[in-house]
Amino acid sequence: MSLLALLSSAHGSVDAALSFAYEAALPYSKQYAIRKDAWGGDLGVKEKKAVMAQLFKGNDYWFLMASDVKNAKISVHLYDTTGKLAESEAWQRVHDKKHYVSAGAHIIPDKTGTYFAIVEILKSPEERTPWALVYGYKDVKDKDPKRSK
Amino acid sequence: MKTVTSHFFLFPLEMKHAFFSCVASVKKFHIPVFCSLLLSASSLFAELSPPSINLSDFPAASVQDVVVPVPSEIFGVLDKLGNPNWKAQLRLRKTQTPDDRAQVALLLGSVIAEGFIAVEAEDTERVKELGRDVLTLADAINVRKSVLTRSKSIIDKADHHDWHGVRVEFDGALQDVRAAMDEMNDEDLAQLVSLGGWLRGTDALTAIVNEHYTLPGAELLHQPELVHYFDRSINRMSPRLRKNPLVLRIHGVLNQIGLIIDRKKQDIPREQVKKIHSLTDEVVLKINDVS
Repeated sequence: MSLLALLSSAHGSVDAALSFAYEAALPYSKQYAIRKDAWGGDLGVKEKKAVMAQLFKGNDYWFLMASDVKNAKISVHLYDTTGKLAESEAWQRVHDKKHYVSAGAHIIPDKTGTYFAIVEILKSPEERTPWALVYGYKDVKDKDPKRSK
Repeated sequence: MKTVTSHFFLFPLEMKHAFFSCVASVKKFHIPVFCSLLLSASSLFAELSPPSINLSDFPAASVQDVVVPVPSEIFGVLDKLGNPNWKAQLRLRKTQTPDDRAQVALLLGSVIAEGFIAVEAEDTERVKELGRDVLTLADAINVRKSVLTRSKSIIDKADHHDWHGVRVEFDGALQDVRAAMDEMNDEDLAQLVSLGGWLRGTDALTAIVNEHYTLPGAELLHQPELVHYFDRSINRMSPRLRKNPLVLRIHGVLNQIGLIIDRKKQDIPREQVKKIHSLTDEVVLKINDVS
């Protein structure tokens, strides 16, 4: 983990946010394949960004977001193309000792198609808060009752 | 660090490698202990999310583009569509290296997707050939180093019939090649690799769905934003690449597919599946044609 911290400080804040997004994904990495491609940028307080994702019915996804701004609060939520909340669960977390914040949202899509991950900076001491978002996926096993043929 | 563009950007390779080696080392030791240590120093809170939002509140500038799914995201789902005849979908001709770099990039993506079909068909020798082809084609566009280990792993894992492992390596090869091209500021070629993979994957998917048509199978083709994303990607390419006859033809095909895959209609009838298949099959043949 110290290696990630060193790399992040050498590459700037969005890179640091990315390393923390990967760190937030670590607990899921045994079950989910974490994509190397990622989204990122910076946002002001209460500013939102929509991130488009092509999701497939039959898969199970976690979206993990992070920022290295201490005392910030961030969120990620998942919506379908009609603007309806589509996630099955979501969380936000403050990692006091590691000086970063993270958020996650989980979805097992009912339909194949485009979904929107809405990322938001809820609170931050900084004018612009860097963020990064990664996602992981796994296929839903046949016996899963949430998957219909 | 790359400049943030209007679409998603890739982060430095070394950072990703640090994460993925970290995952590997964690897996070797004590995942539950490690995870509980991660969680112990944190506090969890739940912020209420609105049950619905108005997506038109997001102007184009505040929307980030779609990330192209890797083949295993789709093939994992395809596994559940009964027992398709994957062997019949395999293209068995020997891969040749074109002179045109755009065609090489498209062919590289197509070969990686072919690798997934060979895995589904559990054809060890074909998987190994394709693993070697990935290396040859990557060499032709100066990204050999990025896939050397992957290529060896594909061959080793195919020998051991570790099909899940082979899929992981083909996925990794696609992502590594793209990342290496982005690092070399060859983003247009990186897009063509993804596009080649998507076209071959869609070609095979439509053949399978058409063989035993079901609505859930056809629903996998509901990828409207992805089609528009590829269309926009070509529009952003250099004028020289946009005028490349193969790219030009693919652009035309994307426009036709875009009309078929309606954003609002989830169901794609069999006739339209056939149409998409004939369009993608034709361009995949052209991508593979080195004459």
